[in-house]
Amino acid sequence: MTPERVGAQQIANELAEMPPSSAVSLQMSVDNYLDVIRGVVDLFANKNGMDTIYVTATISSEAIKRVLEALDIDSSRVYFVDCISHIMMGAPAAQQDERTTLVESPTMLENLMLKVEYLIRRSQSKGKLVVIDSINSLAIHNNNWILSEFLHILVSGLRSREAYTVILSVEEHSTPEINNMVTLVCDHGIRAGRQEG
Amino acid sequence: MPVRTGERDRCTTGIDGLDTILYGGIPRANTVLLTGSCGTGKTSLALEFLIHGAVKGENSLFISVTENSEKLLANIIPYKFFDRTLIKSGRLVFVDLPIMYERLGMTKAELSMEEIDLLVSAIRDLAAELGTRRLVVDSITSVCYKLKTSEKIRDFILRLSKALSDLNCTSILVGEVAAQSSAYSSFGVEEAIADGLILMANMERRGDLLRTLQVIKMRGTMHSRTKYVLDLTPMGVLLVPLLKGGSTG
Repeated sequence: MTPERVGAQQIANELAEMPPSSAVSLQMSVDNYLDVIRGVVDLFANKNGMDTIYVTATISSEAIKRVLEALDIDSSRVYFVDCISHIMMGAPAAQQDERTTLVESPTMLENLMLKVEYLIRRSQSKGKLVVIDSINSLAIHNNNWILSEFLHILVSGLRSREAYTVILSVEEHSTPEINNMVTLVCDHGIRAGRQEG
Repeated sequence: MPVRTGERDRCTTGIDGLDTILYGGIPRANTVLLTGSCGTGKTSLALEFLIHGAVKGENSLFISVTENSEKLLANIIPYKFFDRTLIKSGRLVFVDLPIMYERLGMTKAELSMEEIDLLVSAIRDLAAELGTRRLVVDSITSVCYKLKTSEKIRDFILRLSKALSDLNCTSILVGEVAAQSSAYSSFGVEEAIADGLILMANMERRGDLLRTLQVIKMRGTMHSRTKYVLDLTPMGVLLVPLLKGGSTG
């Protein structure tokens, strides 16, 4: 087994030990992104028959779809809330379809919550996973006060619906303030990838 | 939602967020002014209120004043819970007020006091005949333009409200205000007479335009007074609290 596969499997195992309605902080290094995707989406959500609602504020949903395809991960149960494509003026952006919902801007955090709520209601699956990719990208566009309030309301709502929440953060781009706000709403933390130093 | 003893019977709107804001729904037989500028989702919310009622078996009546009801139906959000058999079965009825005006011989630009009486009676009789439990007038502002004076507007809304309340019918009167207006209604009279006031608005925050909803008053129940952001979806109106960290208003 390669180191990447072990990393991905460990992530999936740790998530599987958590009960539904758990919120998990998943810290990763930039070069560990593919492991995290495989561990969370494929080995955890797909394997357990869950719908995944993937909130992307880092790269477009189209790019993530290509990543999933390259990794040979079944994406038929992955639904995207794409907060970045609309502001990439002129770039080849994602098209809104049955599996992709666009939010005009990552500053429209309420609309982001509403799109997640819509997909949660629409989902027929018993198990649901919501991935926030990533808190660092949202922090570029929002101040810590509003981001902290957003996380609190979002995670509380998802708990009441017995959905798993996984909040991704990139170690290299994180700050103590961001780490604190994530820790405040999460039950468990996973550190994926190599640690520097 | 728990039912508390001693409280008035509720007309659940079927819009989860709004029923939570209202601690279970609109007190039955209340007349509610649903007001806001264009594009805020007033008609969609009012229509959803009626559809949920019809689905529950409550006869519902939509009185369209500004828009032909066929055009309205053609533009309806493809709600997952909406079935056109509700219309065919007569559970959900659409009436165009201009046709009523014509049948009642109300051709003048301004209605007289007698004609106001006649109009209220016609709406009451129609609601009674249909066994209406939920009614929407969209928009009351357009009717008010034919009344001209504050006295006539006050009289019309009071009589209509009383007539519908006597039928145990819960009603929503859709009101229109100008985009930058801070008033709750065009004529400054409507909100004082209605039992409830729900304000819908477009709120700009750092260049983003958010649709918001706030219950200003609702007789017969406690309610939240905070501002919510809404989205119009095929699952109906969804609401989340406005985040205060970035609020400018």
